[in-house]
Amino acid sequence: MDLAATIVLNGLTLAALYFIVASGFSLVFGLMRVVNMAHGSLYLIAGYVGYAVFEPLYDQDAWYAWHAGLAAGILAAALAGALMQKILLGWMQGQELRQALVTIGVSIIVADQILAFYGGNPRQFFAPDSIFGSTQVPLVGGYPTFRLVQIGVALAVGVGLWLLLNRTRLGMMIRAGVDDREMLGACGINVPLVGIAVFALGAALCGLGGVIGSTAQPLAMGQDGRFLLISLVVVIVGGMGSIAGTAVGAVLIGLAEQLGQALFPTYSVVLTFVIMAAVLAMRPQGILGRA
Amino acid sequence: MLAVSDLHVRFGQAHILQGVSLSVGERPLAVIGRNGMGKTTLCGAIAGLIRRSEGAITLGGERIDGLAPFRIARRGIALVPQGRRTFPSLSVHEHLRLVSRGSRARWTIERVYETFPRLAERRRNGGTELSGGEQQMLAISRALLMNPRLVIMDEPSEGLAPVIVDQLIGVLRALPTEGMGLLLVEQNLRVATEVAEEVAIMVTGRIATSMPARALAEDKEAQRRFLGVSAGGHH
Repeated sequence: MDLAATIVLNGLTLAALYFIVASGFSLVFGLMRVVNMAHGSLYLIAGYVGYAVFEPLYDQDAWYAWHAGLAAGILAAALAGALMQKILLGWMQGQELRQALVTIGVSIIVADQILAFYGGNPRQFFAPDSIFGSTQVPLVGGYPTFRLVQIGVALAVGVGLWLLLNRTRLGMMIRAGVDDREMLGACGINVPLVGIAVFALGAALCGLGGVIGSTAQPLAMGQDGRFLLISLVVVIVGGMGSIAGTAVGAVLIGLAEQLGQALFPTYSVVLTFVIMAAVLAMRPQGILGRA
Repeated sequence: MLAVSDLHVRFGQAHILQGVSLSVGERPLAVIGRNGMGKTTLCGAIAGLIRRSEGAITLGGERIDGLAPFRIARRGIALVPQGRRTFPSLSVHEHLRLVSRGSRARWTIERVYETFPRLAERRRNGGTELSGGEQQMLAISRALLMNPRLVIMDEPSEGLAPVIVDQLIGVLRALPTEGMGLLLVEQNLRVATEVAEEVAIMVTGRIATSMPARALAEDKEAQRRFLGVSAGGHH
């Protein structure tokens, strides 16, 4: 019983991280129809830039080292995302294949630059004392506090995104833009600027995931590919462009990964793709996706 | 106010607009013509949604051709597009909030609700949960709230029941008193001639002729030649 509860909780904490990262991917796809193959690179950028800010502060025992790293990572990712849209992708709006290829190119360049700049050694953030250590959880016992924080952050991201999309003017523009970009422009809305804002927001969410993820587990080369793949799987399962769908997809994939590792460790990776194949076969637009 | 001169639009080999020239002043202008004559292309080209090949478009003396659609909209051109194109994800009220210019503009959300009480009743409904007539009222309100200098309407009567068309004619006839220009593109001869005083007839990408609306309404021969309809033959 305790073991089962622990596995479920592990799955949910993993799902939380997946949701944070994939929600940005889904947001960008929803408005811009860009399959951003460099989404994982934003995770790396946030992690490494954040770490570069975090490390010297941590060495000086500054209590705000992690917070500063978090802020720097999110900002770096948001800036990188906005620049990518402004400089590269805005010119080829609507040309999905070209955008996919360009973003693959960006991801290769970013990965090599990070390797050249920071070297290949893995790094890991240390969470501040307030969210370090363990917390007693019913059924499970002592559980790393930071992982619970991770779930809280994911819930906050979900609620925040819902409020943004449904209660703000920017949210109205985003929803209208998903429906009919051209008509939104004819209403006098600066659609390219909305696009840059959405890209920056999606990238910032990925950056948030990057620092949180690199606190829970090591940051190393290859994480970009892993989180891109996970984002793709999560939004394919949940439904492209739907935030609720992304949440459902993240929970399914997170739980499946943890259950798989507990029940049949050797083949656990297969489970994720079995779910994806099953969804694609029965509901190609994703569980909560619009047809 | 709006002047279009020698406007050409080509899609690959197809030469859709072949030198359209027209101008809209204080009084509404109607452009009528059969399907496939380039009417919708003309609307799209003026609003900046379709790239022109040659020609100039000016609004109040300033060139607007080549600008991004949102800049053209901000200069004062509002489009009520063919098929209405309301946003399925936005409620009626959100459509209005999206374009509202605040409470001191000539057209405010309150004034829209007074003018179209039906929209006030359906303010929480989504853009696709409305009837065709309600959607058209919403599309027109969306344009009016931009407080434009000129409204372009592309076949607003399309697909509406005759009683709703009558209502629409009433709304459109009230517009010029606001000092707002109107370019009305129609297939429905009755709507065109009752709303506008001047009617331009479009044939294969050109303005073939233009004449006073009253003259066209009585000229069965011109109607048959340019439109292939008998009077009021929009049914």
